[in-house]
Amino acid sequence: MRPIAIVIEVLVLMGVIYCLFLAARLTILDVGFQSKYDRFLRWALGIVGAMISAFFVAHLTLFYPKLLP
Amino acid sequence: MDPTYLQFWAKQNAFIMNVILPVSIGSCIILVGLAGLFVYTFRQQHYRLWHLGKEEDCSGQTLKRLKTFLAVVLGHVRFWREGTEGYPGAMHFLIFWGTLFVFLGKFIRLFSPLTGLTAPPRSIYLFASFISEVGGVIILVGAVMAVLRRFVVKPPRLDSKPDDHLKYVWVFVILLTGYLVKGYRLMLAGGTLPADSFMWAPISSAVSRFVLILPSEPLNELLVWHRVLIHAIPALAFFGYIVVSRSSLEHIYLSALNVFYRSLKPKGAVRPIPNFEEAETFGVTEVKEFTWKQLLDLEACTRCGRCQDNCPAHLTEKPLNPKKVIQDLKAHLLTQGGAIIPTNPQPTSEPSPLLGEVISEDTLWACTACLNCYEQCPVFISGYDKIIDLRRSSVLMESRFPGELREVFRAMERKGNPWGVEKAERADWAQPLGVKTLAENPKVDYLYFPGCFKGFDDRNKKVAKALVKILQRVGISFGVLGPEEGCCGDPARRTGNEYLYSMLVEKNLQTFERYHVKKILTTCPHCYNSLKHEYPQFGGNFEVIHQTEFLKTLLDQKKIPLHNVYPLTVTYHDSCYLGRYNQIYEPQREILRAIPGMTLKEMERSRDRSFCCGGGGGRMWMEEHLGKRINEMRVDQALALEPDVIATACPYCLTMLQDGLKARGKDDSVKVYDIAELVEKSMDEQPKNP
Repeated sequence: MRPIAIVIEVLVLMGVIYCLFLAARLTILDVGFQSKYDRFLRWALGIVGAMISAFFVAHLTLFYPKLLP
Repeated sequence: MDPTYLQFWAKQNAFIMNVILPVSIGSCIILVGLAGLFVYTFRQQHYRLWHLGKEEDCSGQTLKRLKTFLAVVLGHVRFWREGTEGYPGAMHFLIFWGTLFVFLGKFIRLFSPLTGLTAPPRSIYLFASFISEVGGVIILVGAVMAVLRRFVVKPPRLDSKPDDHLKYVWVFVILLTGYLVKGYRLMLAGGTLPADSFMWAPISSAVSRFVLILPSEPLNELLVWHRVLIHAIPALAFFGYIVVSRSSLEHIYLSALNVFYRSLKPKGAVRPIPNFEEAETFGVTEVKEFTWKQLLDLEACTRCGRCQDNCPAHLTEKPLNPKKVIQDLKAHLLTQGGAIIPTNPQPTSEPSPLLGEVISEDTLWACTACLNCYEQCPVFISGYDKIIDLRRSSVLMESRFPGELREVFRAMERKGNPWGVEKAERADWAQPLGVKTLAENPKVDYLYFPGCFKGFDDRNKKVAKALVKILQRVGISFGVLGPEEGCCGDPARRTGNEYLYSMLVEKNLQTFERYHVKKILTTCPHCYNSLKHEYPQFGGNFEVIHQTEFLKTLLDQKKIPLHNVYPLTVTYHDSCYLGRYNQIYEPQREILRAIPGMTLKEMERSRDRSFCCGGGGGRMWMEEHLGKRINEMRVDQALALEPDVIATACPYCLTMLQDGLKARGKDDSVKVYDIAELVEKSMDEQPKNP
């Protein structure tokens, strides 16, 4: 069960990050940021999102198992 | 034992109130902050934009507005429709009510300990937990239906933007993490919870069997708080997103507001131009010339596409798509509107013109003013009133309109009818029947106002004659205006020529006043709508009755003996101006059912979903260059039922349907009749073949 639980947790975290970062991008554009910067925004948020995702994946796959019996 | 001192974590000295109170207080602070943010962004993003628009009085009749609001928003009465609308209606209903359940449960659990109302494991708290659990499942069912529809079935009326999949992923994440949080809690606190607690949280209980737990209590407590954050952060961010962004989730409050402020005026009455005599601009040339409510309409649209699925112009492949009209105007409002707000930095360039760039001329003139877009819209958004306003600007400000209308306007101005036939010939059809004009005999109960079609079109003259024969047979006291009758003005108003319209109205009103007209009987739904709902804008004060209502009353009073049997299959085509404009659907059907032998079959698109004949909105006098012909499509819908007769109660529809039958080569086998003709034939002493 443990590997499945970790996969689910990773997916949930990725989902959370995806939602927050896509929402941030759409909101920034909505509040007046010119659409010509959309490409920059996509890259910037994409990179930050990927880094956070990588951290969580590492956290869940490396740190958690150490705590488990 | 005081339940507030029950242990929150097993084997630890942490009590419920110690845990819940900070969460409750924190939630209160965050919600107050969100409310403040909502007020600020609502003012900045919406209120200021709408107030660029002109005045429109949407106040009054608060109780009626509230009733509609509750029926539409809570009951979804306009979402549940016949045919294909059951699925999206059910889908939205589930999401809406599921969300309410989740919120109800959450609020009780979050804030009841603060108020001392309840605390776990008291029953209210447990019920609240159960409501949240069930609400989440209801949302998930609705959301799965929505995802299947939008991304698998992909009906053409739905266009997807990034926001459309984001909201489903987000909702799924929030619900899943919510169940996970409670699942962890149940797993870790199992020993300290009441035995039946699993019954009150069935989904979370199931989830709790699969969660990952750590070997020590402090680590598990930490784990649960991590999970709480993974649930709470996306949930609070979701509220922030709804409040700040311009996502389709804005509809949660904008559509509800639009329902509350819907126009309570007669549906088919076009708004007059205020201070017409002194006005310097007419109609809408710039977006700020719409009224505030029209601008709210634009923002309240969620792109559900029901309007486009029912628009005759769109379905016959013309460039008009009501959803796109609203969305294009909305995009224009959002891009140009901010710059128009006086306190904002002023643009250096001129805003792009609405007409020609935002809305093309082909789009503008394709509308048949059938009102189906408004009727089908779940939140009462009308595309038609905006099109009329744009047409007004095009005609009155720029003299731009289809070439065919030039002669029509001239004819109406000079001769008082769209064909330009001499006024003196208007009542020629009535003379053999001995009908007197009001000039000859003003002391009558009813003014019969046949309208231009009945006065000048040979096929429609037969309808007028049929009605007159019925009236004479029953002994109704009536007269006509004859050469003094002028066009009611409906084609002029629907094509944006308000100047010509007001001229025709004034002329007719003077004539009515001269003869002290109090009751008007019409056969044309266009005249009926105009006289009944629009003439009062100019001071008209009289009762207007359509022939179908009148005949139904005579039938109910048993004054019309329908004895001739006609074993025919008949399908009734609803006129837009009688049906959607005036909600007259049943009298016609009851009359047809009363004719011995007749079998009435309904077309799939009937009553409020009826398909326009293509002649409304001034289209009767314009060529149909683009796409398929609307009247032929309607005739195809009727022919699918294999009828002997297509019945109608409108001269425009009669003409268009007859032309459609000719185009399909069916004019010999299938006939189009007006209701009055069928009644007259059935009550005639000498039976005739209809």
